[in-house]
Amino acid sequence: MRAVILDGIVLGLAFGLLGVGMTLVYGLGGVVNLAYGQIVVLAAIVASLVMNEGVSTALAAVVGVLAAAGVAVLLDLTLMRPVYREQGEERILLGLLLTLGAAFVIGGLLTWRYPTGALYVNISGEPISILGVPMAIGSIWASVIALVVGAALLLFFGATTFGRGVRSVIQDEIGARLVGINPSFVRTVIFALSGALAGIVAITSSMSGPLTVNAGFELTTFALIVTVVGGLGSVAGAFLAGVLLGVVNTVSAHYIGQYITSVILLGAAALTILIRPRGLLGR
Amino acid sequence: MRISGGPALLEVVGLAAGYLGERVIDGIDIEVRTGEAVAIIGSNGAGKTTLFRAIAGLLPSMEGRVVLDGKDLTGRPAHRISRAGIAYVPAERHLFPAMTLKSNLVLGAYPNRPDRETLELVYDLFPRLQERQRQQAGTLSGGEQQMLAVSRALMARPRLLMLDEPTTGLAPKIAQVAFEALGGLKEAGMTLLIAEQQVPLALSVADRGYVLENGRIRLEGASDELEQNPEVRRAYLGVA
Repeated sequence: MRAVILDGIVLGLAFGLLGVGMTLVYGLGGVVNLAYGQIVVLAAIVASLVMNEGVSTALAAVVGVLAAAGVAVLLDLTLMRPVYREQGEERILLGLLLTLGAAFVIGGLLTWRYPTGALYVNISGEPISILGVPMAIGSIWASVIALVVGAALLLFFGATTFGRGVRSVIQDEIGARLVGINPSFVRTVIFALSGALAGIVAITSSMSGPLTVNAGFELTTFALIVTVVGGLGSVAGAFLAGVLLGVVNTVSAHYIGQYITSVILLGAAALTILIRPRGLLGR
Repeated sequence: MRISGGPALLEVVGLAAGYLGERVIDGIDIEVRTGEAVAIIGSNGAGKTTLFRAIAGLLPSMEGRVVLDGKDLTGRPAHRISRAGIAYVPAERHLFPAMTLKSNLVLGAYPNRPDRETLELVYDLFPRLQERQRQQAGTLSGGEQQMLAVSRALMARPRLLMLDEPTTGLAPKIAQVAFEALGGLKEAGMTLLIAEQQVPLALSVADRGYVLENGRIRLEGASDELEQNPEVRRAYLGVA
């Protein structure tokens, strides 16, 4: 049981990172980025290609993260422009359709060019015992990276002027404009950050097993569930929801079966909408 | 007719704006001099909010110009107009409800760090705010939210402060207090442009006023002239 829960926490921290990238973009402008999982996969494929050239793993990881951030900015500056010109329901619908389109294009191109593409960052070393459970060194690395990035994000949003500006746009866009904040610029920066987070998730989740080219939609689904459960635009909420759902995932997979976990996670999201629509830590 | 002799700080020339191609305001000429308090009076739907939104850059203008201290701001987005020195406090206030009062004030100075002097000035003006620094803005009373909205606007040290219906949702007594505070701001040298339906309150602070009707300026003059004007007395002061 203890091992199952620890595994769940490891998985959950990755869910948390994944969720932050989606929840911020959604909170800032009502766009559910359905291409999010494909951006994770893109980072994985880029990193694996760079690694195959004999470059060090760390450098390949950085290149993968930068590639994901770059593609995200590109999406924001092109596809997202007409979306943000719309308001209300039109914006949400157009955002869904265009990002879904982007998901098919990015995912399609990657599976066509690299049908067996996968990233596996193998970190060698003896398992380390935590609470009496031997944990793979890759899982520990992945969790430490997720925690460090999460702490950095909390610091960024809580204590920096720009971070506060981002939160102000989430809470009241007109108010933000009136104090001199450019929401369009904020959205571009956060889209880039979300891409970078997708890249980091690609690296960390491939530390405990290969991330394959067709994982995109599953990752998007997880990110969406974490966003709903954690609450709109809340970094801490995304991590809390991520860890909870990660534990739910591994426990149900262990005691019931892998086949049931997606249903249970989606059920958790649906239940959240019914009983606490603003999510765990949302407004 | 001009009471203060300073140079024009804000010049609005032939401004037209509206929604979906319809002009709500048209041919608006307004001037505000440094240190002056100017009232825009008019009934509900006369176009006061449209005028303010157009000056603040929240609504694109269809014609005309907005000039601040000789600098043409026409067509600039709201965040740049704010940074150029026009602070706008809308009737709905648009505070950041899930942040503390203090964070709202800090954001008022964006992108700069808030300077201590301005913060002290704001707390002197509204001592209540200092007591409630750590409280979430969304949980403040209507009067406190209005004080916070004005204070957040002041944090940017604007050249011109525009207030749209500052008494919205306030009890009469608190509305009175709010206008006394605005009078204090004017004494301290702040230039004010105030839209208000409660005409006697507005004219008590303002040096001059413009009467807006159906999207056009119908009358303008010094406050005491307007107070004596039979049309104004009938329409806005409830005098038969």
